[in-house]
Amino acid sequence: MPYLFAVMVVAVTVALAFLLPWLFPHASRSLLFLTGVLVVSARASLGPSLLASFLSFLAFNFFFTEPYHTFKVADDGDVTTLVFFLLVSAISGNLASRMRQEMAERRASLARISNLYDFSRRLASAMGTEEVLDALADQLALVRPETGGTLRILIAEGQEEPPKERRKQGDDRLLAPEDLMAAWHQVERNPVVRGDWVFHPLATDRGRIGLVAMTGEPDPDRFESLRSLCDQAAMALDRIRLAADLEQAKLISETEQLRSALLSSVSHDLRTPLASIIGSATSLLEYGEAFSPGDRRELLATVAAEAQRLDRHIQNLLDMTRLGQGKLSLHRDWVDLHDIIASAIARLTDVLEGLRVEVQIPDDLPLLWVHGSLIEQALINLLDNAARFSPPKQGQIGIQAERAGDEVWIEVRDQGPGIPESERETVFDMFYSVRRGDRDNRVGSGLGLAICRGMIGAHGGQVLALPGGLGWGTRMRLSLPLASPEAKP
Amino acid sequence: MTAPKTGAETLLIVEDEAQIRKFVRISLEAQGYRVWEARLGEEGLSLCAATPPHLVILDLGLPDVDGLDFIRRLRAWSAIPILVLSVRASETEKIQALDAGANDYVTKPFGIGELMARVRVLLRKEERQAAASALFESPGLRVDLGRREVMVDGAPVSLSRKEFALLALLVASQGQVLTHEQILREVWGSGHQEDTHYLRVLVGHLRQKLGDDPMHPRFILTVQGIGYRLAV
Repeated sequence: MPYLFAVMVVAVTVALAFLLPWLFPHASRSLLFLTGVLVVSARASLGPSLLASFLSFLAFNFFFTEPYHTFKVADDGDVTTLVFFLLVSAISGNLASRMRQEMAERRASLARISNLYDFSRRLASAMGTEEVLDALADQLALVRPETGGTLRILIAEGQEEPPKERRKQGDDRLLAPEDLMAAWHQVERNPVVRGDWVFHPLATDRGRIGLVAMTGEPDPDRFESLRSLCDQAAMALDRIRLAADLEQAKLISETEQLRSALLSSVSHDLRTPLASIIGSATSLLEYGEAFSPGDRRELLATVAAEAQRLDRHIQNLLDMTRLGQGKLSLHRDWVDLHDIIASAIARLTDVLEGLRVEVQIPDDLPLLWVHGSLIEQALINLLDNAARFSPPKQGQIGIQAERAGDEVWIEVRDQGPGIPESERETVFDMFYSVRRGDRDNRVGSGLGLAICRGMIGAHGGQVLALPGGLGWGTRMRLSLPLASPEAKP
Repeated sequence: MTAPKTGAETLLIVEDEAQIRKFVRISLEAQGYRVWEARLGEEGLSLCAATPPHLVILDLGLPDVDGLDFIRRLRAWSAIPILVLSVRASETEKIQALDAGANDYVTKPFGIGELMARVRVLLRKEERQAAASALFESPGLRVDLGRREVMVDGAPVSLSRKEFALLALLVASQGQVLTHEQILREVWGSGHQEDTHYLRVLVGHLRQKLGDDPMHPRFILTVQGIGYRLAV
């Protein structure tokens, strides 16, 4: 192609010299041809420019020197012209091709730098090992020799374990485990060659993380750039591991803290009723004879009521454990909300004593497809709270249910002090009252609402704390989607 | 194991917790029942075989025999009523026990009043079955099974066939709990064991006709997650 170009340029030169003879007197014609030769050598390599100069000489000689239309050389000056043509084309062709080569190299290195820049940016923003490995694999794909060859990225979980393959490019060539193990033990900062494979380490000062194994012609020129890629990737992997370790450590210490907070709160919750039970029972044992029948009855009633309270705490703990372990399996069945509410109220007879409970449920409320005893437990926890925060005498608790579109909501209203707006979300936190360090007698371990939310959440519903509407009181609203067995996922 | 005494109604309590055996025995004896105690399932079974008691109170969590096995083995040759003691949070266990042939259950921890009520129902049922009465009467409700007549507070109530079948079933069980499955099988026939929504709807209708407030039922009591029983 460049040769054709050379021929064409010479042809154009000849045409110009013919068509515009008044512009080119004899003397400047050789300069016109020389320009043509320069044009060719600037664009093409040495060969075509030599061809151009040779053709230019012949054309010049043929058309424009005497005797015309022969290749005879009449004048010695023409020989000089030929020599000049050749000389000029040799020099300029060489120069031009060197310039082009340099430009190409410049362009390639620019591309490499921008690639590297992209790569380090990807590494810097990578949040996980997978992202780093993707970036490394993409980058290595650019560096990998085009002539086939295969590439594996292997990552080790620990220093002693063999690294496992995580990314793969190229053919399925076998990477022998013994080669891999040998390389893994041998590799430090420099590549190791075993069989067809070259193993580049992914390592930082804190130790080795993995290997990049490649086949194909090991090109020493590329080792440097490979090494820098591998080092950058290793650093990113190390950073991610470090962050994960820190996160884990933080999680463990938080879990520890929560666990001890829970334990202390639970022991408090269990001890309080036990104190009343032991106290009443021992009083009866020691002085029972001396007590009036009324006092004896009262003490015994305390024992029974406190024991039931203890039982509710234990039920909450069990439920919490089930929720926490994710072992809560729903046994859904058709249930009438009336039944659930009636049963919840019946189980709280002692707690609700002295309070007025008003229930409003529309008769046409559809049956619910839920796990009845869980919904009952959720309601019991709401009612228990409402009773605890109600004014001791003349208090009123309202229970209302309503269908709204494809869900049913149930509200439990109390006339207690209400929940400040800033805490309406945090009350559902498992350790809300634990964290507040509340030792108010009315406050339990704070598990109740968390459990309620957990159980309703398991049904795809939600629980919200709403203001009472009159400046005091609380409305706990629990909403459940109207599910059916057919819609069950 | 205490030596069987001779006398009227004899109850056997099979329970490994000595404290529970103690207070149950004291309370039952105070009500005039005779009580035998067994710590292990095998003991209990051999006592039943030697001199059948009128009622067995069985703890489902025995150290030697699985509670369900105990029920099945006893049911293989005897119809002695069985009252099961079971821990909460295991509806399945209770339903399995009832379906295996237990007559009723009480959830631990229980108040003695609850246990006594169940015991009385089961013993009375024994008595009544002997009398094979076709007439049921409780405060406010009168059911004549033979003539298919139902009266609430003295006023006759007309029921559909299914409603009457359900009421008759509850009446026949004499206040003993019936599981959803048992009711579905009896009223709708086998093959409908899963259709609890039919049952919920039917109970709703029946309560409406009997003027029974679902929040404070007088006649038909819901046993959450298990089934229904008639108030007696």
